[in-house]
Amino acid sequence: MNREKALRRLLSGAFFAALFAACVFLPAGPALSEDTPTAEAILDRFVEVTGGKAAYQQRKSEVVHGTVEFSAMGLKGSMVEYFEEPGKFYMAMDLAGVGKIESGLIDGVAWENSVLQGARVKTGEEQAQALREAAMNSFDHWREVYPKAEVAGEEQVDGELCYKVVLTPAEGKPESMYFEKKSGLMRKTTVVAASQLGDLVAESISKEYRRFGDILAPAKVTERVAGQEFTLTIDSMEANQEIPAEKFAFPDEVKALLARQKK
Amino acid sequence: MHRLLVFLAIPLWAQAPPNHQRDLDSFEKVWTTIRDKHWEKSPGGLDWQAIHAEFRPKVEKAQNIDEVRGLLTEMLGRLHQTHFGILPATVYEEVGVLGDADAIGEGSSGIDLRMLEGQAVVTRVDPGSSAERAGVKPGWSVKLANGVNLQAAASELEADPSIPEIISTRVLLGRISGPVGGKTQITFLDEAGAEAKRELALAAPRGRMASFGNLPDTPVWFESKLIDAASAGSKGPAGYVRFNYFLDLQRVMEGFGGAVKACQNCSGMIIDLRGNPGGIGAMAMGMAGYFLDQPGLRLGTMYLRDAQLNFAVNPRFPSFAGPLAILLDACSASTSEIFAGGLQDLHRARVFGSRSAAAALPSVIDRLPNGDGFQYAVGNYISEGGKPLEGVGVTPDSEVRLTRAGLLAGHDAVVEAALGWIETEKAAK
Repeated sequence: MNREKALRRLLSGAFFAALFAACVFLPAGPALSEDTPTAEAILDRFVEVTGGKAAYQQRKSEVVHGTVEFSAMGLKGSMVEYFEEPGKFYMAMDLAGVGKIESGLIDGVAWENSVLQGARVKTGEEQAQALREAAMNSFDHWREVYPKAEVAGEEQVDGELCYKVVLTPAEGKPESMYFEKKSGLMRKTTVVAASQLGDLVAESISKEYRRFGDILAPAKVTERVAGQEFTLTIDSMEANQEIPAEKFAFPDEVKALLARQKK
Repeated sequence: MHRLLVFLAIPLWAQAPPNHQRDLDSFEKVWTTIRDKHWEKSPGGLDWQAIHAEFRPKVEKAQNIDEVRGLLTEMLGRLHQTHFGILPATVYEEVGVLGDADAIGEGSSGIDLRMLEGQAVVTRVDPGSSAERAGVKPGWSVKLANGVNLQAAASELEADPSIPEIISTRVLLGRISGPVGGKTQITFLDEAGAEAKRELALAAPRGRMASFGNLPDTPVWFESKLIDAASAGSKGPAGYVRFNYFLDLQRVMEGFGGAVKACQNCSGMIIDLRGNPGGIGAMAMGMAGYFLDQPGLRLGTMYLRDAQLNFAVNPRFPSFAGPLAILLDACSASTSEIFAGGLQDLHRARVFGSRSAAAALPSVIDRLPNGDGFQYAVGNYISEGGKPLEGVGVTPDSEVRLTRAGLLAGHDAVVEAALGWIETEKAAK
């Protein structure tokens, strides 16, 4: 499971971003040496070191439980996520004092809903981003999602030298992923995420990789966006669970919105 | 926690460096804060490093604290932006803007005050409060509060243009407050101009304590009702919603949605944000969704150092499409201004009352090493109509001010003006 992608989904409901500013500074890296691997090799290595193509391909569904914390604001809550191929996704955060913030994807319709903002259906680049992220739940699909991938340099992330790989999707802005030279693990991503608030630079730092079934994944991901920093901690991640269909069903508010849009 | 911080501060102040060093430290703190926290990388379009080179030698040569304040004010003035300023330490001592919060306390007698015609006038008495039981009426003015001449204080505060009315009002409210369980001695001037002395019990403030992250627990109340048209001199019922903070997110948002739902047949709706200092900014977007049926609209844009945030609105259902009046006064700030200013700019609401507090930015008041206060904003907010709210505020479409005489006669002129407009709108359709 690509935790950075999961966190990026939170952005769409992250009204917290409306409160403070962000400062993301990406220093330029050293020039590439002749023995720098290709982007394709770096990405394939990541698939390999985190479980291998076969392990990814065997995962048809996923149930994730965890916690989310906005430490600077003193907000904590729970997080649950359901994913099922092809293209079914649901995530809910429940924060004390804020309530439930849900988002999902089914039949190509990407939506979100909260007590605070009500329901909405994502369109345009936001919808494309949601579809892309659902496809990237299984990282070995990267070639289908990013027609272009190239190495852009080497940079330090948390004291580890990483290859910076820039991936360009068919629709949307280029994304940067940083893979540790030594281990091949992804340590950071930076994207310009489309959201209702506008385009937001988001940086994710992945830590504490551990095995969840056949896959190695970060148990802790810290995301910085628009001055807000929050950390997602994964407590459990179970593959190939039977997920009841109602888990992916539209909430009543989204159903009502879709019905109005059809009129 | 507050007591602990005060305790810890004592030895720090006792070991404070000589005055000149404290002034230099204060200069550095102001300059560095602007460099690091201003929403523009070149604050005000200036070469901020050059500003340091220009002002530091002047501060070094300053002969006294007044000169230092003048230099800091001049430096901040180069930004040509509001909500950047130096508050002399003496201001804190005189009006207690920030300090001595424990001494003021949170106890409430159920009175709300505003500065009207140079006096501290009761504008509202909470039902069931000690003030109501003691017969205190809206329109009475406060002459003395616990031995302090509040009439003189109100007059002085009103005459000082450097002190915003929202701050003055808080100071006055602080003077009639005290610890919960205590009592406050107030001498009022009643409708006949006669002195009316009352000893009022101080209870926990109205509302339910609400938590939101690191914010201190805050008492939040929410009320909604249908205004009886006949008693208000109107021809049809109107929905009325009032709450004291944009906090207690779930309860207030659900209450707001419920009020809109219950008002589907109303002639109009009134959202009374007088005295509401704001809270969670995103609640303005969530509430505005009940009055807009077109997707893609926004209330405005907040500009931070590395992000530009659209205050986008999702249409919500059931919505309310009838006349919408929003009531503001000089104590309506921040999220209240974002909500009112945005809906005014979108031509969806008509604003009644007086100009808002003009404090729509996330701004901070910090203390400097020399004891002065330093206020600075960390973002800029532009309402959808292209106007900044900071330092400007929301100007009502219909300027209506409360008067002492009107309150004494049992009238809320602002609500009545809104109701009158709603009736006119209804009649026009």
